[in-house]
Amino acid sequence: MAGSPSAMRGWKRARHFVLTPCCSSPERACRIGDTRPMTNAERWQLTRRSLVRSGLVGAACAGLAPLPLLGATPDATLEIAPFIVEPTPRHRYKTLAYNGQVPGPLLRMRAGQATTVEVRNHSTREEVVHWHGLFLPSEIDGAMEEGTPMLAPGETKQYTFRPEPAGFRWYHTHTFAGNDLTVGQFGGLHGFLMIDGPRGSQPAAFDREVFLALHDWGGQMLASDDGSMMPSYDVSTINGKALGFGEPVRVKRGERVMLHLLNSSPTEVHWIALAGHTFHVVALDGNDLPATQQKSVPMLRLAPAERISTIVTMNAPGVWVLGEVRKHVQAAGMGIVVEYEGAGGKPKWIQPEDLAWSYRQFGGSDNSRTVDASDPSEPALPIRLKFSSKFEGHGSPERWTINGKSYPDTEEPMLQQGKRYRLILDNQSHDDHPLHLHRHVFEVRSIDGATGMNGIVKDTVLVPAHSIAEVEFLAQHPGRTLFHCHQQDHMDRGFMMVFRYA
Amino acid sequence: MRALLSLQRSLLLAAAGMVLPLCASAQGNYEIQVYGADTVAPKTLMVELHSNYTVDGQKQLIDGVYPTNHQEHETIELTEGVTNWSEVGFYIFTSEQSGHGVQWVGDHIRPRVRAPDSWHWPVGVSLSTEVGYQRAVYSPDTWTWELRPIVDKTLGRWYFAVNPALERTWHGPDVKQGLAFAPGAKIGYDFTKKINAGFEYYADYGDLRRFDGLHDQQQQLFVVTDLNVSPAWEINIGVGMGGTSATDHLIVKGILGRRFQWGHHTAVD
Repeated sequence: MAGSPSAMRGWKRARHFVLTPCCSSPERACRIGDTRPMTNAERWQLTRRSLVRSGLVGAACAGLAPLPLLGATPDATLEIAPFIVEPTPRHRYKTLAYNGQVPGPLLRMRAGQATTVEVRNHSTREEVVHWHGLFLPSEIDGAMEEGTPMLAPGETKQYTFRPEPAGFRWYHTHTFAGNDLTVGQFGGLHGFLMIDGPRGSQPAAFDREVFLALHDWGGQMLASDDGSMMPSYDVSTINGKALGFGEPVRVKRGERVMLHLLNSSPTEVHWIALAGHTFHVVALDGNDLPATQQKSVPMLRLAPAERISTIVTMNAPGVWVLGEVRKHVQAAGMGIVVEYEGAGGKPKWIQPEDLAWSYRQFGGSDNSRTVDASDPSEPALPIRLKFSSKFEGHGSPERWTINGKSYPDTEEPMLQQGKRYRLILDNQSHDDHPLHLHRHVFEVRSIDGATGMNGIVKDTVLVPAHSIAEVEFLAQHPGRTLFHCHQQDHMDRGFMMVFRYA
Repeated sequence: MRALLSLQRSLLLAAAGMVLPLCASAQGNYEIQVYGADTVAPKTLMVELHSNYTVDGQKQLIDGVYPTNHQEHETIELTEGVTNWSEVGFYIFTSEQSGHGVQWVGDHIRPRVRAPDSWHWPVGVSLSTEVGYQRAVYSPDTWTWELRPIVDKTLGRWYFAVNPALERTWHGPDVKQGLAFAPGAKIGYDFTKKINAGFEYYADYGDLRRFDGLHDQQQQLFVVTDLNVSPAWEINIGVGMGGTSATDHLIVKGILGRRFQWGHHTAVD
């Protein structure tokens, strides 16, 4: 049931897994069988190494593809069908949803184990499911720009893959919306995807998990302060419900609750606080932070497509609001009640005075480790990408460009497998952009005025307007690889490009 | 040239920090503006100076009303946003003319509401009503009321607005006239992100039930440019020509506006 964390926790795990020899390394088997508690350092090394190994393993298994014929019993099924989401009794929106709920069901998979998902398209639109954050072959990653076939109306298809890397991922539609602000990511086609790693590989101990998705509804294009057109929304929700209209998150005193937050908004950045509590951030985009770089912070900022996994120790009994820090957005509904067992009364909100967030606070300086298997002494090959826009009138959204060209005319840089690349993300526009690289992860090396950063591994990063950020990644997953701004209106208007492998 | 110098002087005065802006009745030439449907945001004060100079206008004293020729009109418009769909505007009209000096002309008040964004209407729609007084030496009708529907639409680089205004005299010679129809319209094109240019049309056809003859109607066409240099600033400059004998023949106009937010604002607001 949408809006019910406890219900989501109870989502049935995949029914069966197939482990094929090509993906079962002895080292992994050993790690899975090792029940000795790991130190934080070991967890970090495992996490970073596992990213590499899983990627290499994934590449080795890249032959996996959607099965042309049905017949296998799927481990999970996603049905795409019309749905009416009802954030409040006064706000009802016709949309598409997975399995009749928004957000879609929590899918849990075991890292590296073959899993079959059946997707049935009962809508009247062509659809495709993107498995955001996974190292999948281009043919099933879920982007037509990479070559994934679209799912025709009425069509059913099975996808079998070995999900990697472990961590908090998500799945969502990857279709064009254009001027229709009810479809694509403006709608309800998004859900949580948790890839469980080996037992004991969690970045920190916790008692239970809660999954929360931030979303905005009722979009329309309005003139923004700078004169260009931007989407504006009627209602903002957490797990499909406006504040006061969904089930509360019920907790017990002393519980360590792992909150997995996803910003599935088509275009909006959100700041989230939990009154009376702090967040201990342990992972960004599902990728664990080294123990020394985990931080307790008063609020979180999530750009579209970003995820944050954070532990909240429930040590302030009462009834509280977890919600958007900006007053007008919380007033539009973005919030959920956190209710301690036995507590009552009106939910309490403590209004922060300012917005506080920077990637810098999670950056480490230990450069002895790299995010990938490449030789750290070998300099990464630079690829400079300049982002700007072309004005097309105050009554029309801008056309976005990468190095002066809009998709599909953007460049297609050629990558060599095994090489490490440094993307120099030069945002010359007036907007912040959440930039997402498909089928890979990258390490943020400089952003928000800080350089030489280590340890922040992500698949989406928000690059502020008029600034330059640098990220590095290892080219280890051959195939067409999409890179784009995750704002639906930006990608629809040209902010995409494809990397190819030699 | 004098008109330009006068306009320039006015703009410089405003830029120097004087509190000065403008409002709109073409025939009055105190505020020459086609309204857009948007309203001023809450906790925001819009300060505008409307500077209009009649280069070639009425040269005779008629029924005790000063001639408009070579009159320099400075109007201060203060508009405060009330909600995200309403505002209230207040006007101070002044006139400067050789032989008469700087004179207070009158004041108006103008509440306005608009269709909220949440209604998702395909065009911007708002409705303003304006009530006020002006001295008889500047307008024979001293107390007037106006109802101004406003519809606008931006399509790509094009901007369209229509203001089919209705006017009523409460005190003065036209008190028995009934509702007069005084439409305004605008079309603009974005040549760049900062420069929009186009035309504005102002008219007064007289009694809504029986329009005046063309000779007695007022009709003006302005060539205008809007400079979008900053979200905080509003700049509009134009030159207008009257097309009938009842209309001033040549007017130069300018609007300089600045939005001021008041109260304590932080990023969380």
